[in-house]
Amino acid sequence: MKNQNAAFDPQWAWESYVPSDERPWTLKWVGHLYRRAAFGASWEQLRQAMEEGPARTVERLLNPSGNTDEFETSFDEYESAAANSDSTEGLRAWWLRRMIQTPDPLKEKMTLFWHNHFAIDCGKVKSGVLALQRLRLNREDALGNYAHLLQAIVHHPTTFLALNAEKNRKVLPNDNFAKKVLENYCLGPDMVSEQDIHETARAFTGWFLIRNECRFLDREHDHTNKRILGEEGDFDSQDVINIILRRPDAAQFIVRKLYRFFISEVEEPAHSFLEPLVRLFTADFNIKKVITVILKSNLFFSETAYRKRVKSPIEYALEIVRGFEANVSTTHLGNDLKALGQDLFHPPTVKGWLGGRHWINSAALIGRCNLAHALISNSAPYEKQLAFDTVFEKYKCKSDEESCQFILNLFLQDDLDETVRKQLYRSTADKKPSSWLQRFTIDVLTCPEFQIG
Amino acid sequence: MVRNPFIIIALLFLTSLICLTGESEPLPKPSQWIPQDAILTFELSNPQALFDVILGAKVEKAITSVPEFQALTNENGFKEFLGVVHYLETALATDWKAAVKSLLGEGAVFSVLPEDQLVFTADSTNPDLLTQLHDILFGFAKNDAEQHGDSDRVKLKEYNGVTGYSFGNDEVHCIIGNRFVLSNKSNILKRIIDNRTNVEYESLSNLNHYKNAQMDIDPEAALTAFLRMDILNQVSGINNALTRNLNPMAALLAAGITDSLSASNWLLAELCIDEENLLLSTEIDGKLDMSGPMAFIGTNDRVGAALPMIEVPNQIASFSFFRDLYKFYSAKDDLFPERTSGLIFFENMMGIFFTGRDLTEEVWKEIKPEIRFVAAEQKFDSSTGIPAVQLPSFAVVFKLFHPETFGIVAEEAWQKAIGLINFTRGQNALPGLLIDRPVYKDVKMTLTYFPSVGEEDKSKQDIRFNFRPTLARVKDNLILSSTDQLAEDIIDSVLLEEKNPPEKISNVHSLVQLDVDRLASILESNRETIVRNDMVEKGKTKEQAEAEQVMLTRIMQYFNQVSLQVGAQDDTPQAELKLSLNLPAAE
Repeated sequence: MKNQNAAFDPQWAWESYVPSDERPWTLKWVGHLYRRAAFGASWEQLRQAMEEGPARTVERLLNPSGNTDEFETSFDEYESAAANSDSTEGLRAWWLRRMIQTPDPLKEKMTLFWHNHFAIDCGKVKSGVLALQRLRLNREDALGNYAHLLQAIVHHPTTFLALNAEKNRKVLPNDNFAKKVLENYCLGPDMVSEQDIHETARAFTGWFLIRNECRFLDREHDHTNKRILGEEGDFDSQDVINIILRRPDAAQFIVRKLYRFFISEVEEPAHSFLEPLVRLFTADFNIKKVITVILKSNLFFSETAYRKRVKSPIEYALEIVRGFEANVSTTHLGNDLKALGQDLFHPPTVKGWLGGRHWINSAALIGRCNLAHALISNSAPYEKQLAFDTVFEKYKCKSDEESCQFILNLFLQDDLDETVRKQLYRSTADKKPSSWLQRFTIDVLTCPEFQIG
Repeated sequence: MVRNPFIIIALLFLTSLICLTGESEPLPKPSQWIPQDAILTFELSNPQALFDVILGAKVEKAITSVPEFQALTNENGFKEFLGVVHYLETALATDWKAAVKSLLGEGAVFSVLPEDQLVFTADSTNPDLLTQLHDILFGFAKNDAEQHGDSDRVKLKEYNGVTGYSFGNDEVHCIIGNRFVLSNKSNILKRIIDNRTNVEYESLSNLNHYKNAQMDIDPEAALTAFLRMDILNQVSGINNALTRNLNPMAALLAAGITDSLSASNWLLAELCIDEENLLLSTEIDGKLDMSGPMAFIGTNDRVGAALPMIEVPNQIASFSFFRDLYKFYSAKDDLFPERTSGLIFFENMMGIFFTGRDLTEEVWKEIKPEIRFVAAEQKFDSSTGIPAVQLPSFAVVFKLFHPETFGIVAEEAWQKAIGLINFTRGQNALPGLLIDRPVYKDVKMTLTYFPSVGEEDKSKQDIRFNFRPTLARVKDNLILSSTDQLAEDIIDSVLLEEKNPPEKISNVHSLVQLDVDRLASILESNRETIVRNDMVEKGKTKEQAEAEQVMLTRIMQYFNQVSLQVGAQDDTPQAELKLSLNLPAAE
């Protein structure tokens, strides 16, 4: 893969961006920031960010002002009520609703990141309560301490259930479980030997899942010496995680994933380029510190990052909903997102959603088009939910022309080629006045520029 | 398009317009003017009965006492509306209630014709009032059109001796005598004008089906609806819906209704109304064929008689059916020929529960056709626990031909089913049911329940604590209930019946009764759950969902009971829906 970062000095790349005449703070960068660090923004939020500048806006995303506790408490209650079922459909609906309404979108975005990183299919868990516990672990440490999060997730009942490791007997260590944990959660593929895997499996012996609770049965734990990643001793599972965390590869693995999530899916940066972030992360595994550097960086606000990711179905749909400052039926939205390939709580494999170009194929594009149409035209199952006209009224769009420009500013920050702009206007020219604006909006939301973020 | 809202409001206020032609002859009945291809026709045949209720003091109080209505009266739009009403009242020297009573006083008809054609007629007791009102509205419309530079929009034109008017593109009307006639299509209005004195005209009143339907109309009926089933049955979607095979449960409950409808030429619904009750009765001309698969709703080619419904404390709903399960299951290949996986699973499980007995000959044949269901609100005790989501309890009561022998078989099957539930829950590491054998009034029950030992928060328990499945047998009554509480109440009720055996209700095979206030109470108990559900299902804010819930509860407060009975008289299916009203007392 071509490495454009080679042209950048890492020090400059990770230094904070300061607007200048050459690199001014424009609506384009505001939209970019909200796409990556949130699920899009309303026009009011975009306008406020324009006034405040990048430093204050990033700071507000990292540390939202006001009382977010009330919101979190009430949504925690909603989720708890929805968890009383074997199915995760209710939880999915409430999580999507939370993503739409949250005053702390970065935290939810990072919760989604960890949900994908520590991927399991909750269909195997068959317990809404456990699925919610896992979601809460991801949320509590979404911007917190990675070491704490990794220990908690690896030792959570859902991990043992979903990775078929309900009984870890001394006589039958589960190598498959150990391999999945090491390769998918901790270090990445091809980073450990067969011996490391087997010895890790031995370290996990003694863990049993009894009535959906993890219990450590000492008599079933293999107390003999193990040699894991170059270290030797009578290790248990927690020791293994600590050994892993001492290795720079572990930090590199996470930082690389964060780079892909926030900066670019297009290129694979060199180790040395990520080194400043890896050093920072290794110091105390503080996730927020690394994300702060990323979101404030020159690199983040550069063409290297701009429109270099394909939006996931969730990002795509929620940007529309949040843009229109609406609430929609998230039960139905969850189903539509599932059809587009992103079923919350049910990633396809333990590797999670692969993302990038995998999100886009001809069927997915038709699906996205249908979803945009259903949302904008207020057709089933989203009747009267997305207040199309109210937003135009709120922002005083007095004519169709003004409304069109508003849509372009809101969703594309007016950053599109003139040919595309002409095409958008031309494609709606023959529509009746009553549906003209609607058609225009749908065309904007289905154009290639809106599929990437 | 009528742009001025005042004109729209005024049109709504009147619900009609008129054109006076000075015709002195008494007009024929409105149905004489309605084209006979009208698919659905509503006739306000007894306006006074309707006005007495809907314009009465009780309904007025019911509406004005709703806080949402009071809030509406403070909105500018509503104030403007009232301004228009007051203006018209002054101009016409009347009040709005008297005006409505006068303008619709001789009756009204609204018909839906093919291709979205509509006709509305209203017969006034005061033609002068009609003319005055029309003149005022005509002036409004004309003025409004001129202000918008669209003076051609409002038109009047002479046609065959009648002045026709149009206030916009999708409306034409005229006044003939004391009758106001409105349509959305000018060709329909022309047809009416052309044939207004033609007794040979192909009108609704000359249609035999209409004449037949009119024969048994209750003179007290305030409103009737006449539906051309012969036309609807030609619509492939409707025909498919009425003739396709239903799933077993739907076939059992619908019991020939769809077959009769598909064989009908017409359906007539009549509404009788007073301040206490709304009574809606329906009749069709299709015959109930009891000789075929539908034999299960009767005996000897006659519709069976259902037992009176069971009554228990805190009752929400009660159902009583006459359904011969033996005949029903014997005819299953005709009723639902598709062997679905659900049906196969059901038969396999029943085979296990009933120890290999033949389901038709050795199980269903043991059950009498009188089957009753009941649902009741549960009362929870805080010391034993209150579920976060409170569900009603429900039960079915069968009558057995051989209670002493088959009663034991049924009890064994029940215990096997409980065992299977426990086994399956155990596989999923879920708590199981304990089996107990308590005695209530000398009746030994099989009670099963989830022990609450170890439950920390007893104020918001898991949904499973709504269920305490219970089986009990009283003489020939076999009770299967979701809770022992309801089972005991049914035992009380059944023991009373033993002393005073109830008389069966002849010609009625289905009885349903809903206690609306109790239902409202259940909704209130589960308000939080419903609100949460509306938020994610319908995308509402919490405030919107709560407001809707409050409104629904308020509306339900105005009803006591809803009851439905379905049966047949001389092979002609009949249904009667009764709503008992609970309107507030007028001051």
